Amino acid sequence: MYHPLFRAGWLCLGMFGAAFAPAMGQARKIPFESFDLKNGLHVILHEDHSTPIVAVTVMYHVGSKDEDPNRTGMAHFFEHLLFEGSEHIARGEFDSYVEGAGGVLNANTTQDRTFYYEVLPSNQLELGLWLESERMLHARVEGIGIETQREVVKEEKRQRYDNQPYGQLLPKTMEAVYREHPYRWTPIGSLEHLNAASYEEFMDFYKRFYVPNNAVLSIAGDIDIKAAKKLIEKYFRDIPKGPEVRRTNVREPRRQGEYRDTVWGKDALPMVIQAYPIPAQGTNDFYAVEMLNQVLSGGESSRLNRRVVDEAQLALFCGAFSFGLEHPGVTLAYALASMGVEPHEVEKAMNEEVDRLKREPISAQELQKLQNQIESQFVQSNSSMAGIAESLANYHMYFGNADLINTEIERYMAVTPADIQRAANTYYDPSQRVTLYFLQTQQSQPQ
Amino acid sequence: MNSVFSKSSHPFRVWACVAVGWLITSSAALHAQVDRSKAPAAGPAPTIAIGDYHLEKLPNGLTLIVVENHRLPRVSWDLNLDLVPLKEGAKAGYVRFAGSLLGTGTETRTKAQIDESIDFIGGQLRTSSQGIFASSLTRHTDALLEVMSDVLLHPTFSEAELEKLRTQALSGLASNATDPGAISSNLRARVLFGEDHPYGEVETPQTLKAIVREDLVGYHHTYFRPNVAYLVVVGDITPQLAREKALRYFGAWQPAEVPVNFVPMIGMQRGNQVCFADLPGAVQSNIAIAHVVQLKPGEPDAIAVSVMNNILGGGGFSGRLMQNLRESKAFTYGARSSLSPDRTLGRFVASANVRNEVTDSAVVEFLAEIQRITREKVTSSELQTTIQYMTGSFARSLEDPETVAAFALNIERNKLPKDYYKTYLQKLAAVTVEDIQRVAASYLRPEALFITVVGNRQEVADGLARFAQNGRVQYFDALGRPISGLEPAPEGLTAQSVVERHYEATGGIAKWRKVTGLHRSGKVEMGVPMQLQIAEWTLYGKGTRTEITFEGQVMMEEVITPTAGSTTAQGMKRATSAEDLADKQESLDPLFHLTAIANGKSYDLKGIDKQGERPMYVVEVREAGSAEGTLPESTLYFDVATGELTRTTAVRVGPTGPLQSEESYASYQTFGGMRFPTLVTTVANSQALTITYDHLEVNPKLDASRVTLQSQKP
Repeated sequence: MYHPLFRAGWLCLGMFGAAFAPAMGQARKIPFESFDLKNGLHVILHEDHSTPIVAVTVMYHVGSKDEDPNRTGMAHFFEHLLFEGSEHIARGEFDSYVEGAGGVLNANTTQDRTFYYEVLPSNQLELGLWLESERMLHARVEGIGIETQREVVKEEKRQRYDNQPYGQLLPKTMEAVYREHPYRWTPIGSLEHLNAASYEEFMDFYKRFYVPNNAVLSIAGDIDIKAAKKLIEKYFRDIPKGPEVRRTNVREPRRQGEYRDTVWGKDALPMVIQAYPIPAQGTNDFYAVEMLNQVLSGGESSRLNRRVVDEAQLALFCGAFSFGLEHPGVTLAYALASMGVEPHEVEKAMNEEVDRLKREPISAQELQKLQNQIESQFVQSNSSMAGIAESLANYHMYFGNADLINTEIERYMAVTPADIQRAANTYYDPSQRVTLYFLQTQQSQPQ
Repeated sequence: MNSVFSKSSHPFRVWACVAVGWLITSSAALHAQVDRSKAPAAGPAPTIAIGDYHLEKLPNGLTLIVVENHRLPRVSWDLNLDLVPLKEGAKAGYVRFAGSLLGTGTETRTKAQIDESIDFIGGQLRTSSQGIFASSLTRHTDALLEVMSDVLLHPTFSEAELEKLRTQALSGLASNATDPGAISSNLRARVLFGEDHPYGEVETPQTLKAIVREDLVGYHHTYFRPNVAYLVVVGDITPQLAREKALRYFGAWQPAEVPVNFVPMIGMQRGNQVCFADLPGAVQSNIAIAHVVQLKPGEPDAIAVSVMNNILGGGGFSGRLMQNLRESKAFTYGARSSLSPDRTLGRFVASANVRNEVTDSAVVEFLAEIQRITREKVTSSELQTTIQYMTGSFARSLEDPETVAAFALNIERNKLPKDYYKTYLQKLAAVTVEDIQRVAASYLRPEALFITVVGNRQEVADGLARFAQNGRVQYFDALGRPISGLEPAPEGLTAQSVVERHYEATGGIAKWRKVTGLHRSGKVEMGVPMQLQIAEWTLYGKGTRTEITFEGQVMMEEVITPTAGSTTAQGMKRATSAEDLADKQESLDPLFHLTAIANGKSYDLKGIDKQGERPMYVVEVREAGSAEGTLPESTLYFDVATGELTRTTAVRVGPTGPLQSEESYASYQTFGGMRFPTLVTTVANSQALTITYDHLEVNPKLDASRVTLQSQKP
């Protein structure tokens, strides 16, 4: 019901977490083959001839959590640099090769991984493999590219965060939730850090993380698996294996009571954010929290929507969602207060709904609704080749089990009303909560 | 173990051992058969097949389109109304409200019940002013259609839900006030299409507050009719079953005559304009450079136009705007353009978000790219790359069965040939470099652009004035409504005192009252190679005569008196229209503006315009009693330092929309103790006319019959 333009802005906020939105596989079983090359590159192939296209993707197990705290934004910045060229691909040619062949290309970076993809006409599979192998083997990173992309990334940050309504929401929230773990900064990072990074640091980063043993090559579409395997050998076999990647093992300590703060800005309506730490994705409790959030905000009839938005009309929108992350993540309950409504009124209503879930298990009818919703999402997800390639890579990278694309739904379906109630009590714990108000700066308030 | 490797390496084994020393320096060269130095060749091109669709008209006039696809066990039902855009006027937003409220209550279901039924089956239901979309897993089809049909046929539009929606919409406006994208979209709508066109309407708190329940009921009753609707069904269902369901759930829907709304034409503007909306504290400028385009979907040029736009700024990263503004200059995260055909009126928009410091430089690059593509041929490799890219996009789009449904709907709605999409790739491949140049020149208007910018006024606005033909930045609020952009005038100063200062500065009010008449003459330039002369004789209060001559021959003469006027040109005499007469009678009174104020006309001092070289007082003139915010009939600019009237602008609503005219007055000189401008330029209807007076005489000896009308002979 809220204004579609605003909704678009809100969705943008979600983008950085959306990279690992619960991809549920689908009712139609997705067959795939997977194997490792000698250099450690993991390969996943899915054959589907319905449309003559192929998605060629490479996922590197490097994200912002792997960054030096004094060089935040490096992983994402590096993603930009890796479109600059290679020993055999001149500056700008990545784009023209792919688009000139009738394809699209892009990449994105999250806290945990960096993902590159091309979707090409299926007769251009080899082109995609050549490009990705060039990127992995000997990308060329030069002064002009670094300088250009530094400015481009700064514009990306301004466009997505600094100049967006509530653009500081996620950076400020993550900064408040995490004090030790590198999730405390977001993938876009710091402009000052990027300015300070030297050429040598870029090359070190490349040698450390852009190695076949830290990557998944995932291909889906109109391919012949046997022929594809030969081409993969041809282009990737000789890429030297890199050193084993060492990862951060920082554990975020429990906090000693709720943390509350106000962030002042220019946006007119108050935004309320409640953030709670949750277990890592893939754990049983993670799925229980997912179902809990579905009770709170899955659809117009969900509890926060019904109570806070529709009945009490306290908010323009209100909901809850989790950032599933490789390390223990965070779940957010949020509300944009209606004009003239005080943020604490909204907060109180949100808490009341959560408290009700702590006291009373959901009914069999409500459980059935959740399961129907999950099933529907599961069927409708993974309908594109690019989406399937990405999900397969994700499932392998995080869980070592790409077949979750077909079976993850069982994890959701196994969640009981008692699990949901327990998750509400365990994880929507006020003593572990971070509550932030985003308010409009008034003359009398600190600038 | 790898057959390719062992086969080719065998004959060269000895050589390979010898050469291993230098081969090792390049790991890629270890296998001689991998030539990394150039891109691999493509395999044979795959066939691109477009799925079929089923189409039929049901007895109540509803057109059913079915795209059968059993890949996934789901079906979507998309009901689309085929309507001419509607002008909402003072209630802008009511059409959207009608669409939103449709899903919030029926005669037998509350909003909560509707929401619960849809969520329970994990389905989707979205209503809008243009139709209803619903989807679910196949096995829930009946439960879904039950609700969809009820929402369509028996909505209640309750007052309570209307108030709820209104409150949310008002909050939405408040939250959009800091969103550069939302502001830019409002601004573009207003300046491109104007307030008389449906596309130029923007919701404001006033319009939202004016909406009443009857507006929504009326909209639904009038426009939600099967005879203007398409029901597009996609997914796991046969045409037969879809037909049965459509009859069962939508068969009782009654047809009725649906009005075809009149959409006014828009006058073509000339000259680039700069339109700015301030977003204090912004760290980027949202630039959108736009104009309207007369191009309907499926017209013969549409494909070539689309290729042209792709070369300029469409598609992915290869477009010229992206390569120039991002990859070469690093001004932005992305720069793109779109050229959207539309059955009513299309638009061209080129846009980017850029940091404040490079705002003007970015506009320079945009303008250069738009001009370049209209003036120079694109290269054939650029054209081929783009055609390839678009061919690929077309193929990729077919991955989604909804695409075939969208094709079907386009064919039907736009009356395209049935094979339009089946032959699309052939038509695309046939586009030539010459076609691109032709369509760029005929559809892009680099001399008639609205350069809209949402950003930090303090930091960037001044640098943009040079892009406007009139040298000025025009200011708008977050909802695209014009604001003055002026600095406040000193406390206590009024329009009347500014006008009095003007007359004092040009001779004195007392002396002006004693002036009886004026004769002046000079030469006229109007962009044609003809030396025209102008001469005027005026007796204040009695009449004025103007003659335009060419080589001594009178081409046109005009006489205006306090009661009537006439123009004679090429032997034809014509009475002056009442509207023109009122304007022209201004010259019969040397103290015209003071008289008008005394007569109750509304003169408003809006502030000081500091954009030009010299600061100007800005005074707006309206009919007595005009509402605040209505367009002024004219605007006067008085030099703050000298008191001279330097410019007047006026807006007249003509048959083709509002026409703006502008007169400027310069080179004031003293004649008989009074000061007069000797250089007067008039711009109207995109034509400019300049008069340079070289002779001026105050209180001339004049026979009154020279300046009054002789009685007309029968």
